[in-house]
Amino acid sequence: MLSRLPKAALSIHHVAAGASRQAVRSGSVRFVSTGAPTSNAFQRALNSRAALGSAVLMTVGSVAWYTHLYGSLPFIGEVHASSPAEEGLHPPAYPWSSSGWLDSFDHSSIRRGYQVYREVCAACHSLDRIAWRNLVGVSHTVDETRTMAEEVEYTDGPDDQGEMFQRPGKLSDYMPAPYPNEEAARASNAGALPPDLSLIVKARHGGADYIFALLTGYVDPPAGVEIREGMNYNPYFPGGAISMPRVIFDGLVEYDDGTPATTSQMAKDVATFLHWAAEPEHDERKKNGIKAIILFSALTAISLYVKRFKWASLKARKIIYNPPTGKNMH
Amino acid sequence: MASFSTTLYNTVFKRNSVYVSTIFAGAFAFNMAFDVGIERFWSHWNQGKLWKDIRHKYVEAEDAE
Amino acid sequence: MASFVAKKYQTLAPTVRTLASGVPVASGISFRHAPADDHSHGGPRHDTPALFAVRFSGSAKTSYVTSSPTGVFQQRFLHTSVARRDAPQVPDFSHYKAKDDSVNRATSYLMIGAMGVLTASAAKSTVTEFLSTMAASADVLALAKVEVGMSAIAEGTNVIIKWRGKPVFIRHRTPDEIEEARSIDWKTLRDPQSDEERAKNPEWLVMLGVCTHLGCVPIGESGDYGGWFCPCHGSHYDISGRIRKGPAPLNLEVPEYTIDEGEGKIIVG
Repeated sequence: MLSRLPKAALSIHHVAAGASRQAVRSGSVRFVSTGAPTSNAFQRALNSRAALGSAVLMTVGSVAWYTHLYGSLPFIGEVHASSPAEEGLHPPAYPWSSSGWLDSFDHSSIRRGYQVYREVCAACHSLDRIAWRNLVGVSHTVDETRTMAEEVEYTDGPDDQGEMFQRPGKLSDYMPAPYPNEEAARASNAGALPPDLSLIVKARHGGADYIFALLTGYVDPPAGVEIREGMNYNPYFPGGAISMPRVIFDGLVEYDDGTPATTSQMAKDVATFLHWAAEPEHDERKKNGIKAIILFSALTAISLYVKRFKWASLKARKIIYNPPTGKNMH
Repeated sequence: MASFSTTLYNTVFKRNSVYVSTIFAGAFAFNMAFDVGIERFWSHWNQGKLWKDIRHKYVEAEDAE
Repeated sequence: MASFVAKKYQTLAPTVRTLASGVPVASGISFRHAPADDHSHGGPRHDTPALFAVRFSGSAKTSYVTSSPTGVFQQRFLHTSVARRDAPQVPDFSHYKAKDDSVNRATSYLMIGAMGVLTASAAKSTVTEFLSTMAASADVLALAKVEVGMSAIAEGTNVIIKWRGKPVFIRHRTPDEIEEARSIDWKTLRDPQSDEERAKNPEWLVMLGVCTHLGCVPIGESGDYGGWFCPCHGSHYDISGRIRKGPAPLNLEVPEYTIDEGEGKIIVG
């Protein structure tokens, strides 16, 4: 016991006292905790096997009662066996050009992806949260975007007579939806609702990887899997049966920058476009991230220096008491 | 070295007003220079992928028509 | 006095001892009041004034040990039962001391200054970011400008468009109307304003169609002055949109707009 004391005592006075570790100590040291724990009847009962047994019974009983009342336990998800067929095949991690910490989107890919969306996906899928103006300075020039917007008729109004009227689109208008409402969309697609694609990359596990894997993953159903009429087999889709048929085929669109329009190229471009649509702030975010990391690590380093600097005099100083020597010392 | 640090001390650090105004002016300059530097690094790192790298294709095409 | 004490070397006997009972005893200190002592503050003790071992100079707090411990130095612990009688050796701190005081000082100031620079820069960016959240969002800004084709508006007609939820009157004025708007003595009007101030291009008059009285929308080509007439409380505006008669205090407001002659467009906003 005693051997522990000098070390602790010394460490406090280390700076002031310097190296004097050989101090010999004597005398008794008192600690706060005294004596052995007292034992009484209550504690004996608490430690008994009967107490243990009744506690176990109580716990099991409450769990059983709870599950009987409410079916499942709180905070614990329902436990069930899962298989790739139910959850969908996990998409592989593709090497996107925007994967790295410092990597921006490939904007020419966004531009091609928009073309794929417009010519293929837009037939069924809306893109509600993207306005024409969002494309400006990302994938298209102002004039191009204005021309594209003016090709679409928008309902505006009411005018002086209270009538709604049609007008060509403006930059501030949002992307036109293929169906006027959800019911119309379901009716045209055998009861299945084509989801809005604005945030689809954020809304699906795997993000852009999932989109790419899904678009290129259509295969014939394996033996033993029955797909209903009008459904298609895709291992990446949870459950395996998806209403959307394979839509992307080689040479379906003609890119204006001359890129060969293979299936995987188009899938990659449209996945990049949808990734941008879900995260338009992506490039700015990463740029700010670089700035923040550099700035705050420099600040941390300097703060540590300043802390040491400010404490140096306090930690290294020595307070010495000069006792008086006599009446007329000064 | 010693003479330089003494000069630095006497010109900048000695008067608090000069010190503080130097800090604020420095912060202003640093802010701009840092932004420019990061922007330059960003465009270098992502060369060919950014909109400004592909913009000329489409602007010229518009003018040609 | 401080320097005097600092440079004085004396061998001092320990003045504070600890009894076996743990009670400290200071036998060398006189608690008597010394009447002959000019420096006494009238208290019961006339100890040497507290002299701290550290002196501060500038910001780069260089520490000076003013007096080396002489004689027997007694280490005191919180628990006073253990007496220590060993004399501590002062370790050699020279390794940690600055080689050059002026470089050391400049470096310290420089580091603190650099921290200030970075903090100010980061704080400025943060404040700017927070303030920018109060600015109009991008979708509002996208609606903030309205373009009107000038070719569609014939001479002598009014067009009402909506801009930021308010009606905007655009009138293509005839030469007679321009003549009328410019010839009157505008300095005597209620809200004196010349027509040149109100219309960038005399042929085109662009103004907010909100009566300056209580916010009704005036009717065009009516009223006593050939301009606009507010049906709510009977304010008459002339062909330059200036208040001429009625309760309204001000002329119809002219919004910010530009006329693009090349494209043939009026851009409001």
